[in-house]
Amino acid sequence: MAKYQTPMLDELEKGAWPSFVTEIKKAAKNSKMAEDELGQLEKSFQTKRGYWKHGGIVGVLGYGSGVIGRYSSLPEEFPGVAHFHTYRINQPSGFFYTSEALKEICDIWDKYGSGLTNLHGSTGDLVLLGTTTDALEPLFAEYSSRGWDLGGSGSAMRTPSCCIGQARCEWANINAMDICNHFTQHFQDELHRPAFPYKFKIKVSGCACDCVAAIARADLSIIGTWKGDIRIDQAEVKNYADNGMDIQKEIVGMCPTECMTYEGGELKINNEKCSRCMHCISKMTKALRPGEEKGASILVGSKAPIVVGSLISWVLVPFIKAEAPYEELTELTENIIEWWDDNAKPRERLGELIEVKGMRPLLEAIGVAPQPQQVKEPRKDPFFFWSESDFEK
Amino acid sequence: MEQAEIQEQIYAYMQKMKGKKKLKEKDVIKKIVADNEELDKDTVKKALREMINVGKLMYSYGGGASSVEIPSEEYLKEKGLI
Repeated sequence: MAKYQTPMLDELEKGAWPSFVTEIKKAAKNSKMAEDELGQLEKSFQTKRGYWKHGGIVGVLGYGSGVIGRYSSLPEEFPGVAHFHTYRINQPSGFFYTSEALKEICDIWDKYGSGLTNLHGSTGDLVLLGTTTDALEPLFAEYSSRGWDLGGSGSAMRTPSCCIGQARCEWANINAMDICNHFTQHFQDELHRPAFPYKFKIKVSGCACDCVAAIARADLSIIGTWKGDIRIDQAEVKNYADNGMDIQKEIVGMCPTECMTYEGGELKINNEKCSRCMHCISKMTKALRPGEEKGASILVGSKAPIVVGSLISWVLVPFIKAEAPYEELTELTENIIEWWDDNAKPRERLGELIEVKGMRPLLEAIGVAPQPQQVKEPRKDPFFFWSESDFEK
Repeated sequence: MEQAEIQEQIYAYMQKMKGKKKLKEKDVIKKIVADNEELDKDTVKKALREMINVGKLMYSYGGGASSVEIPSEEYLKEKGLI
């Protein structure tokens, strides 16, 4: 018999979709933590109040990241969740696991925690929900001895994440997984020891489809793109038309820069006007392919609305070669972080700092020249400035 | 300057600021470098990190931001350091 009656949570089990309530109930058969989590959650729904306290001094010796302290504010009523810390594991690039690896993670987690997981959290980490302070060191010892390290949290470099890239996607213009792994290894210290003004997120997408939503969430987005013309196979264009695709409506009419025409059964692209958004390529996979010179666009400054409103990324470098060992990309990233770290107030993200100070001081500090592609909003972002030294001349 | 001496200065500063201001690593490093012209940031950072590694200092988190502080007795007991 269940310890708690959960009429409101039960409503969330109805319908066509998988339910997290069902999964917690399954875990509750073997875990007192999961059982009390159900009870506390039902109470939250009944009273319309949250009962979690957040933060504090939990962690693993030497690390400042990866464990997020969480406590129940009703520990006597729900003793199983008196401590309910979150443990973040740095996910592999592209989220590839063997079933053996997942079983290993789950077996260890069943031993020390609630058994509840979140694959994956919005940061990208493999998130384990609910353990106690006492269990943290042995939990860390077991995972790290098997090669699983903690992810980022707090005022640190957050665990870099990426799409599946060239491992499975023909559109990936860059090796997103390798770049992600490179930055994860390069910034190990910054990831585990929070020394920044606030969080800093790096996300890598192989193309502008942006499957990790870097453009909306990352302080630094690395998005694969190309130079040159989109490659067209007119015979395949004809096949699409013959099979019922309304090319004028679905492809030409949806092009955000109106750079395409379709006349007499021939698709033409004015590549100078193309913004490389990937819409046409993703719709006509057999007929269109990206140009042959591959690289990345670097964008900065997006964030979700925590302190102030959400921001979308801003193009900083329209095209950069992104090939191992990524020296230019790494140097650029370090310079951006250094400027932000030197100038930001506590809890100020990179995008907010740019809004306060403008793009100009960032460009000067990192040695990137102003370019037309950096204009965020026409007639609003002039990049031509007079300085004191210009008047002296 | 020997690392132990740098660490003594760091600890003294942390004790002085305890309960007054949440300090980030950078605040501590800046202060020690400002007080000792011959020291560079990396040397102080290394000394501070050593203190964190052995539990003489610890990372803390609150209000969305991380800081460094002197650990409580409870923390030291939990980590088996006392």
